[in-house]
Amino acid sequence: MDRQKINNIDKPATRKRGNRLGFWFFEMFIRISGLYGAYGFLYIVSLYYIIFDKEAVYSAKPYIEKRFPQSGYFKKYLHIYRLFISQGRQLIDRFSVICSKKDVFDLKLNGYEKLKNIIQESEKGLILLTSHFGNWQIALTALNKLDKKVFLLMREEDNQAVRDFLNVGNEKGDINIISPEQEFGGVIEIVNALSKGHIVSIMGDRRYGSKASKVNFLGDYAYFPYSAFAIAASAKCPVVVLLAAKNSAHEYVVDVTNVLYPQCSRRKKDIELVPWLQQYADILEEFANRYPYQCFLFHDIWKDE
Amino acid sequence: MNLDDIRKLLKELLIESLSLEDIEPDDIGDDEILFGEGLGLDSLDAVEIVVLLQRNFGLEVKDMNQGKEIFYSINTLAKYVYENTRT
Repeated sequence: MDRQKINNIDKPATRKRGNRLGFWFFEMFIRISGLYGAYGFLYIVSLYYIIFDKEAVYSAKPYIEKRFPQSGYFKKYLHIYRLFISQGRQLIDRFSVICSKKDVFDLKLNGYEKLKNIIQESEKGLILLTSHFGNWQIALTALNKLDKKVFLLMREEDNQAVRDFLNVGNEKGDINIISPEQEFGGVIEIVNALSKGHIVSIMGDRRYGSKASKVNFLGDYAYFPYSAFAIAASAKCPVVVLLAAKNSAHEYVVDVTNVLYPQCSRRKKDIELVPWLQQYADILEEFANRYPYQCFLFHDIWKDE
Repeated sequence: MNLDDIRKLLKELLIESLSLEDIEPDDIGDDEILFGEGLGLDSLDAVEIVVLLQRNFGLEVKDMNQGKEIFYSINTLAKYVYENTRT
């Protein structure tokens, strides 16, 4: 049978960075030096990656070249360096929350009341569209107070840190995993969860082998997967775009104000869903313009796979 | 409804909900494989079938293991509907 991908199915082509020893070292470092000490250490670590990890630099280039088209050779590398530092800070933030098991950061939630009303008014669930922009893992924890069961569409084995952080697998936790590495890419479980009023979180900005449509993003045509929108259209439920930006040293702004209601009645989903995909791309572009160093795509989405 | 009626209805519903162009109900074989090499459906089409079963027959496909068996062909789909809607 066909194993058409919905999302996150293919193994990433890039090698995984970090190991148990590295995590242990970082945990100790955060405990001893505090958050700012760990941030400072990032300047050295990021420099190492800039010089020695060509793969990491190469994967960051497409976004940087689109976001900063006027930059020369050295300026480009400076942007990539800043992007690495920014990503490192957000990884440390996630890690410090895991280690301390308490609220280290203030989470300002925009659009919470709107989201709460949508949930109350509809018997159906909703699709939470996450992206490689900002810190979506921290964003998800902000939604704990909705008191809804959340399903994440993601490969299990690659995300132990995320699982720990989000309390996945813990009986008291409200987050469950739907693996896309199964027959029909997990859609049966997704539709069932939505019909029972649960929240299903799907990454919307990288296709990982799934079908995609071209939309305008940062001045050029990029390929965005449309499966999340197609599922929402079939299940007749809304798509809520979830974004979380680090606003200051101890504050994240979590935004759920953008709610989309995709519709497509016919077979040409790749064409019919483009208006909603474009809206999503516009939301991401606005985010990238506002927070240029919090876009962690690390993939050339402007190139067809 | 007997099995023949369910097969016919399922073919019509599939054509309508998946907007299969230039295909008549009689063009779909009862044992034709629906996904992959057969009718060529993919996982987004599986979404439509799950929803179709919920809306038209009030049936829920529990998981992918069950779905794999049920979604094999029109015959397996019809058998599932027949066995689970009999009163």
